[in-house]
Amino acid sequence: MLDQLINGLVVGNLYALTAVGITQIYGVANVINFAHGSIYMVGAFVGWMAVTWFGLPLLPTLGLVLAASALLGLLVERVAIRPYTGSGRTVLLLTTIAAGLILEQAAQLIWGPETKAFHAPIADVRFRVGGGFIGTLDLVILAVGLTTALVLWLFLKRSRLGWAVRATAQDREAALQMGVDVHQVSRISFAMAGALAGVSGLLVGLYYHSVYHTMGFSASLKGFTAALLGGLGNIPGAILGAYLLGTAESLAVAWLGSTWRDLVGIALLLGVLLFRPGGLFAATRALLPEPTVGTFIPIGRPLRIPRWALLAAAAAALVLPLVVRNGYWLQVLATAWIFGLLAISLNLITGTAGQISLGHAGFLALGAYASAILTTRLQLPFLLALVVSPLIAAAIGVVICYPALRLRGQYLAVATIGLGQGIALVALNWTSLTRGALGISNIAPPTLFGVEIASAAGFYWLTLLLLIGGVWVAERLSGSYLGRAFRAVREDEVAARAYGVGLERYKSIAFGLSAFIAAFAGVLLAHSYTYIAPDTFTHALSLQVLTMVVLGGLDSTMGAVVGALALIAIPESARFLAEYRFLVYGLLLLAMLRFRPRGLLSAAS
Amino acid sequence: MSLRRAQHARVLLAGVLTFAVVTAGCSLAPTTPSGAQGPAGAQNAAQGEVLIGVMGPLTGDNAEYGKIWRRGFDLALEEINAAGGVQGRPLNYVFEDTQSDPKQTPAVAQKFVSDPRIVAVIGDFSSPASMAASPIFQRAGLVQLGITNSHPDFTKTGDYIWSNSGSQEDDAPFLATLAVEDLGKKRLAVLHMNTDWGQTSADLFIAKAESLGAEIVLREAYLLTEKDFRPVLTKARDANPDALILISYYNDGALIAQQIDDVGLDVTVVAIGSTYSPQFIALGGEAVEGVYTATRFHPADPRPEAQEFVRKYREKYGVEPDNFAAVAYDGIKILAAVLNEVGVDRKALRDGLEKAENLQTVMYGTTAFGEDRRLRNPRYLRLVVRNGAFEIWEP
Repeated sequence: MLDQLINGLVVGNLYALTAVGITQIYGVANVINFAHGSIYMVGAFVGWMAVTWFGLPLLPTLGLVLAASALLGLLVERVAIRPYTGSGRTVLLLTTIAAGLILEQAAQLIWGPETKAFHAPIADVRFRVGGGFIGTLDLVILAVGLTTALVLWLFLKRSRLGWAVRATAQDREAALQMGVDVHQVSRISFAMAGALAGVSGLLVGLYYHSVYHTMGFSASLKGFTAALLGGLGNIPGAILGAYLLGTAESLAVAWLGSTWRDLVGIALLLGVLLFRPGGLFAATRALLPEPTVGTFIPIGRPLRIPRWALLAAAAAALVLPLVVRNGYWLQVLATAWIFGLLAISLNLITGTAGQISLGHAGFLALGAYASAILTTRLQLPFLLALVVSPLIAAAIGVVICYPALRLRGQYLAVATIGLGQGIALVALNWTSLTRGALGISNIAPPTLFGVEIASAAGFYWLTLLLLIGGVWVAERLSGSYLGRAFRAVREDEVAARAYGVGLERYKSIAFGLSAFIAAFAGVLLAHSYTYIAPDTFTHALSLQVLTMVVLGGLDSTMGAVVGALALIAIPESARFLAEYRFLVYGLLLLAMLRFRPRGLLSAAS
Repeated sequence: MSLRRAQHARVLLAGVLTFAVVTAGCSLAPTTPSGAQGPAGAQNAAQGEVLIGVMGPLTGDNAEYGKIWRRGFDLALEEINAAGGVQGRPLNYVFEDTQSDPKQTPAVAQKFVSDPRIVAVIGDFSSPASMAASPIFQRAGLVQLGITNSHPDFTKTGDYIWSNSGSQEDDAPFLATLAVEDLGKKRLAVLHMNTDWGQTSADLFIAKAESLGAEIVLREAYLLTEKDFRPVLTKARDANPDALILISYYNDGALIAQQIDDVGLDVTVVAIGSTYSPQFIALGGEAVEGVYTATRFHPADPRPEAQEFVRKYREKYGVEPDNFAAVAYDGIKILAAVLNEVGVDRKALRDGLEKAENLQTVMYGTTAFGEDRRLRNPRYLRLVVRNGAFEIWEP
């Protein structure tokens, strides 16, 4: 027990290092910086090069990493934040995701994909604590973590520049009017957060003796969790949150087993956010007010597409397989239609009701697993599973999302990351129902009225028909009372409530409807792949769906479909770029968000 | 007014960008072969190059395995084409990056199926990605050879789905014999990766170990993304085992080995064959000294076919080959041998794989496919890490 507590503190130490940087940058830019993990990774690689290629000792390496990652932080600010000022924070969320993707892909091209061994140029002295040991590096990390936290805290509390940073965090417009150079402040905080990220990457890389190009993602997720536990923007809170998270995880491993670790972390986060939405160490129990809505999600006026054009497009899509006999493109389009359906469902939450979801893969998983279990275990026919699974998914979706719906804005966004991953983790751990990591195989292809739909064209038509159905339902919803109520919630929660629109109830309806439509996509996916496993439904998939919706134009059903089509077809048609494919994808995403921040199918309001 | 115009320009630009990318892709849709292709290969293309479609990760989390595959493929192709190709035609492959993502493999599968130049497919790396594509290959009658697919259900999709990957049904029980009989360990703590492969291997290992009279004092699964093993190792320490069994890949295997000392655990470590890689030692350093493992392939394997492969691989790439390189090399060699025998035809290839006797492989020696469409007669080498290298160990 004592040993497990120590284990928790040792790993909490590592989380603290990342959490401090994240909490600081959030406080200033009001942005959840998804490129943070990538800077962390580049920092580790710079340190690895300095040590293994040039044989530098630890201190100069540390200096080099500090400088390089501070510069990289500046670069990210310049390329992915500044040009998008005023575009709203959803766009900033996506631009940082794109910047992170570009850095990760570039790192893979430069340093190669294999894990690099990274051995420390420091003497390892070990101290016996309880039944285990603590090494020099544990102490170095502790010292670095505490020092940076102290320096940051003093900087923010005592220096004029620190005041400017805090003023900008509280109210950017007011700070600007008081003569604060907010761009300068933004540059400084990105450089500082970058330096911190790089150093923590270096130290964690040394700690685990390994450096690789995807190391940033899970590290930054732990950092986010710790920062949220402590309350974003609160530096001592982030450190305590990190130790709390580490300890909870260690005890979870001791009592429940190693696979429960992440699930317990997520449960802890949701539990804390439910009772103290501002984090454990927030001054008040209430959420800090979000900046005026409308800067959070930039909604354009949807481009009106004439009815005849929609019908013509649908007709053209329907006859396509008669003209194009190429199975490859039919398959690509069928995948695009499945994801179009998924994007429509997310658009209901994010576009219409204004709530960000970063865990939409979870809803897809609910539908896919429901149908897979119904058809393989209970031998139900496909058609019945197609009808029943969405109902199951909607019910489960509402129940598990309900606690999170009290949260707003970014807090809800991070909670949904947890929910999405949580669903996959439950599928992994509930072995008796889902076969755990083995997944469910031999799912029969779709069969309608005794006819098996196996050909590429048949599957294309099935997905297209369901998509057309989805578009019709979503459009009807959008124009109904429900759609207007969702928009009222999006535009101004206080005003909506004043008019008698209950927030939690309407958010629940939005999430339930969304899960219902997403589940259709899940059913199609399961019967198309014929094999699903927990790692079919990744966090990356959730991000892709959100990108589709934003790219197509928020609150535009057809926009969601166009976004899905673009994001499935572009990487497919860019296959000739081979290893450069996702690098180009990231750049293209940045460019599109720059020129069409309100989406492809939307006009400026 | 000018603002309006600027916006229109932006709309246009974005539209043009998308259109350009999409059309550029379409026009290039019939893929150009990406494999090792000398000038001779390019000239002969018109006379009918024989193509193998490869789907695997070149980007993303598993990109390193795709890179290693390529080396194995290229080496095999060099030899095959130097010896006249298949039925006098040059053999080559088309590598499509799927990131081992099941969302991308069905489309790639359709692409391969509708490309008449492709006679067989190798891949994908992970089970979800591979098995999402299998029904398409089965329906179209195109052989899919999984070179790393040990999922027990992989070849069950149908008679066009084959694998030369190590089957867990052989690997895990052999490891149990090594731990219990050869090393005489009786109290085992088993840590396994929580994937289809890890779970099945652990089940098979435990069944065999228990039948040999050992006691399993702890069984723990860990997540793929796990880095901090102190808590689970502390738990293992408190169960008081005399050996720690790792069902791991080399990255996480090395991480576990490094953290064993930190919790004050002092036992013999026996790790499954996937840890056998130069990377395991590079990453683990001194911590992996004395780790036992069993593999079907080792550069010091005295068999001439293995020696030949190692020599050529070292010459070409300057590093030692690992399991992934060997299965990739074997995969191409098997397909080439059968194609040479039965002719370049999808159906004939499938029948040929079933009938082929005396397939020459690095991993299995001389072998053939069994009823389950996996290779028969695995052979194993016992290894131990000594002085920073894997050495062959005899009990």
